[in-house]
Amino acid sequence: MRPILAIASTTVGEAIRRRVLLVILLIGVLFIVVAPGLGILSARSETTVLRGFMLGVIQGVSCIIAVILTVYMIPNEIERRTIYTILSKPVQRWQFLVGKYLGAVLSLLLMMAMMSAVMAFVFFLQQQSKNVGEVADLMKGPMMYFVQMCLLAAVGIFFSTFLAPLVNFFLTVGVFLMGTFFNPLFQTLQENQNTVPFVKYFAQGVNTFLPNFANYNVQNPIINPTSVIQNEGRYYLGITVYGLVYICILLIIGILIFDRKEV
Amino acid sequence: MKHRSSPVLLSMLVLAFLVQGFLQRAVIFPQWKRDFNPGKGRMYTAAMSPDQILAVMAGFREITAGILWVKADSFFDNGNYDAILPLIRLVTLLDPNEIDVYATGMWHIGYNFTDEEQRSDRRYLPSALALGKEGCRQNPDTYELFFEEGWLWYHKIDDDYNQAVKWFLLAQAKPDMLPARKNLLGMAYQRTGEIDKSIDTYYKLYQVAENAYEKEGAFQNHQNRDTLESNLDTMLVRSVQRGYQASVRKDPLNDYDVYPPFDVGFSLKATVVEPRVIRFEGTWNVLPVGTRIRAVLRDADFPGAHGAELDWDAQDAVNLDPPRNETFMQEQLFVKNRRFNKKVDMSKDPTMYPFTKDKYILEFYYNPRSGPPHIQDKFGWSGDGMTDKNFLDTQVRKGQRVIFATLTLTKDQILRYGEWVDKIPVVKTKNYVETAPQSVSSDDVILKIPSLRSSSGGK
Repeated sequence: MRPILAIASTTVGEAIRRRVLLVILLIGVLFIVVAPGLGILSARSETTVLRGFMLGVIQGVSCIIAVILTVYMIPNEIERRTIYTILSKPVQRWQFLVGKYLGAVLSLLLMMAMMSAVMAFVFFLQQQSKNVGEVADLMKGPMMYFVQMCLLAAVGIFFSTFLAPLVNFFLTVGVFLMGTFFNPLFQTLQENQNTVPFVKYFAQGVNTFLPNFANYNVQNPIINPTSVIQNEGRYYLGITVYGLVYICILLIIGILIFDRKEV
Repeated sequence: MKHRSSPVLLSMLVLAFLVQGFLQRAVIFPQWKRDFNPGKGRMYTAAMSPDQILAVMAGFREITAGILWVKADSFFDNGNYDAILPLIRLVTLLDPNEIDVYATGMWHIGYNFTDEEQRSDRRYLPSALALGKEGCRQNPDTYELFFEEGWLWYHKIDDDYNQAVKWFLLAQAKPDMLPARKNLLGMAYQRTGEIDKSIDTYYKLYQVAENAYEKEGAFQNHQNRDTLESNLDTMLVRSVQRGYQASVRKDPLNDYDVYPPFDVGFSLKATVVEPRVIRFEGTWNVLPVGTRIRAVLRDADFPGAHGAELDWDAQDAVNLDPPRNETFMQEQLFVKNRRFNKKVDMSKDPTMYPFTKDKYILEFYYNPRSGPPHIQDKFGWSGDGMTDKNFLDTQVRKGQRVIFATLTLTKDQILRYGEWVDKIPVVKTKNYVETAPQSVSSDDVILKIPSLRSSSGGK
């Protein structure tokens, strides 16, 4: 366990020192700070637009950070030859990969926590709300986005075990888009009377086996509190377990590939 | 070195795949579909730019909807109302739970499309109602859009009040409805002529308001209770004064204000003074101010048009493009000193009044249910105290006593084509009597002091 934690903490340190990530984070924070201005400009929907914008910024910025953080992770180590120093020590390859992944997750946690704290503060100030429940309700979004970003980071790490960063970037973003897009597409296909059965089954198959990122887009009922959600806790638990299982799958396959890789 | 994968690891992998597949299909997807899918199956529309489509595909529906709505606000500021319509549609498609966008959209479509003289384009109203119905279907757990739908019937359409009652009752059934807004149901019942139900509604609401005030002496509870007490009090007095209680007891109405019925003496002349400009002049023997007679000019074959109204409830799907080749003009004629005189100019808005058909119908309609209380004091809620020897009608609105008259015009007459180039088209009711020219300037009209109890009805 110690080598994993050591690699994870080093990865966090590296992530914090990477200027590109800090710039993206800063832009995200700035967007959140100016969000109340956007809310004021929207007719009768100030709070709705404010919530939607702030949650959207957190999700979007976290997504960019997760991808940039992970696509370079293994290739950079190989390119800079630092991996030889690490693997020459009593560190297994799987420990290295898991350590790197945990480091990425911790970095994401730090950055998302920072954005969420700013969001909560701005929302609190703008709404002049003493209702802590309202702010707590808003925090459900970033919590689920965190699980979503952990899954995205796992996809990035998985591809980085055998792909160059540029290809990995497009592939990871592509998987994210497909994983987000497939739930609505699948539903549309399912409800459309004219869909050919083969297409229906194909979509069902893809929807079942591709990592499903749309599950974590829980912002709608948070933005529109009039929506009535049944078994909300069960749903959040379900998608968290789903995310953890899928992350395990990606890491196991990644380990199997990385184990065979000539470095 | 040759690597061999552990069978245990591979078995775990297969098991994990099956577990995630089961979770996704059996546990997560059904609930996601029900509670978390904002588009309810719709993905995006062709009206969006590529970057917006990409944002929506990536799951950023709500932020896209929010940004589009901010854009709509700038169009509101510029008065570019046409540009707002597609944005409203887009935002409601992207996030059908945006109740305020639905409500604003209904108001915008219903109220803001007007001609140069601020007359609403009534052809849009079925779309406004359809948008509300869609909003209700998408947000069945909250009262707001049910209430908005009822309000559009009650205030904008200002007729067919049973529809307003229907939607207010649906709103009332939702637990989140604001207490003060519930009072409107009592008003709507008065306009359907269901006086007992109105009194009953006020009684029940008063009881609830009294309990709420006893529980918490907050200002709004105090105010709501007082409003309801006043409404109930007024309603009871009026129900006696207007002879309603006597009619329920089947007592003679001789001693009540509604007896005998007052002859309003409606007559009208319509003159096409210029192409697409019509002057309406006529008589209405009611001295107190507050009468508004509805005047409609429409295609003779306008789909669903009947009795000075359209089939407002005809649309279930939202169509933001009203029929551009059909004409439906609705105006209110205000009565002053027992006469009305109004020039309606339709020449500046050819898209609203295209006049593409050959035959047109002019309809004039007055329903005492829409009247102000001081007129209803004489006419009653349902027109028991009103009559007209020429134009009293009980068929155009089944069972209601209304004043209704029709005249016809041709396209050539309205546009002053053919034989009407030099000849002024005039159509009038048979009882119209020419009098000395009336002043048409509102500045020099001297209003006589109105009397609530006109004695000219033959009492």
